[in-house]
Order: sequence, then structure tokens, then C-alpha cells
Amino acid sequence: MAKIGGVIVSHGQVATELVAAAEAVVGELDHIAAVSIGWHDDVDLAKEEIERAIKKVSQGIGVLLLTDMFGGTPTNISAMFLKENEVEIVTGVNLPMVIKLASHNRETTLSDLAKEVEEQGKQSIYRTSALLEPQKMRKDA
Amino acid sequence: MLEASFTVLNPLGLHARAAAQLVRLASGFKSKILLSRPDTNAFADAKSILSILTLAASMGTVLFLRVEGEDERDALEAVDRLFGEGFGEI
Repeated sequence: MAKIGGVIVSHGQVATELVAAAEAVVGELDHIAAVSIGWHDDVDLAKEEIERAIKKVSQGIGVLLLTDMFGGTPTNISAMFLKENEVEIVTGVNLPMVIKLASHNRETTLSDLAKEVEEQGKQSIYRTSALLEPQKMRKDA
Repeated sequence: MLEASFTVLNPLGLHARAAAQLVRLASGFKSKILLSRPDTNAFADAKSILSILTLAASMGTVLFLRVEGEDERDALEAVDRLFGEGFGEI
């Protein structure tokens, strides 16, 4: 079964390390690539690198780009590749989002997966001390 | 449907790699495998790592397991063994 590909794009080595961490948890991920854009890299070079990564992971049913920060260069360059049903972008990548992308295994469309990954990323953020105050949490809810 | 309860024995709790082990094991069965944590009313699908991690189960946490499906007995035994062995960490 074909899988939706993934490319993590970040400043510095964040992307590479996120993929490495996800692989340590769920096993090897041959449909997810990392592009780390150096602080002084040329925009055209970075664009070529992202393009290569998209081609490498694409299995014909779409590629999801996860970038580190909305408004940053990795996101802005990635945005040049946005194309309906072919390339989607979700910003603010975190490890649960990469794991979500890595472990999708049922038939799903690129746009649905993008929404699921966005939702997962948001839901995976906790102010942990709030979890240790169940009484207070109930009151807040 | 079968039910059982387990105590998390591994010192690091049900952390990412342990959860991944459980997912790999659970995914090999056809049965639905649901974990719940009665003290916080949290539920998790044992076939989803991100779901298991939301239980935030540390050492000593008691978890309930509900297994439903054609291979429920084998699934329950396998999960029982994994918890009993502390996920190979004790």
C-alpha cells in the first residue's frame, strides 16, 4: 500500500533529530525525510533540497511537509511547493506530529492527514503541572 | 470481552519506547484493546502510541484493560506478559 510521504523542514538540525527520535520510537521511516536549512544557506539551494526530498519520499499519493515555525524561512520556502492533493504543509512541528505522520496506516487522503497531524500537534501540548492538580482542572473545565 | 487490571512495574513508567512495544504487540491482534486509567478517567487505544502516552502512567499506576475480539484471550495473555515483565526493563 502506498504511503503519504513526509518531509520535515527546519532551521538547523532540528528536522534531522526529530526524524531520528521518531525512528527510535516507531522504527525506521523510509517515507519521511529531513531537510535542515542552515542559518546562512542560500534560498535557491534550500529550495532544491526540499524539492529533492519531496521527490524522494513521494509514492504518488501526496507529501506532507512539516515545518518548524510559521513565518520562518523553512516554511516560506516550503510554501512554494503547496499544491492541492499533492503537497500540504503544517507548521510548528513537534515529535508527536512526526509520530502521527509516521504511523498513519489506513487509507487516508493528504488533506485529511494534514488536518489530523495539525490536531495531534495541538493536542500534544500540555502544561504538565495542570495534570497534577486534578481538582483544579475539573474546576477549570 | 475480557477485562483485567495491571500495575505498571517499569521504573520509567509507560514511556515512549515501552508504549511502542505495546503498540507493536497489540497491533498483531485483531481484537480491540482498550486501556483505561481509573484515577484520572483517561482512556487509550493500545494500538496508538500517542494515545497510550496521554495516560501518563508512571511506575505503580494501575491500568485496566478491556479486550474484545476473536483473539481476545491470546491478546490478554500477551499484554499480561509484557506488563509482568516490566516491558523487559526490570
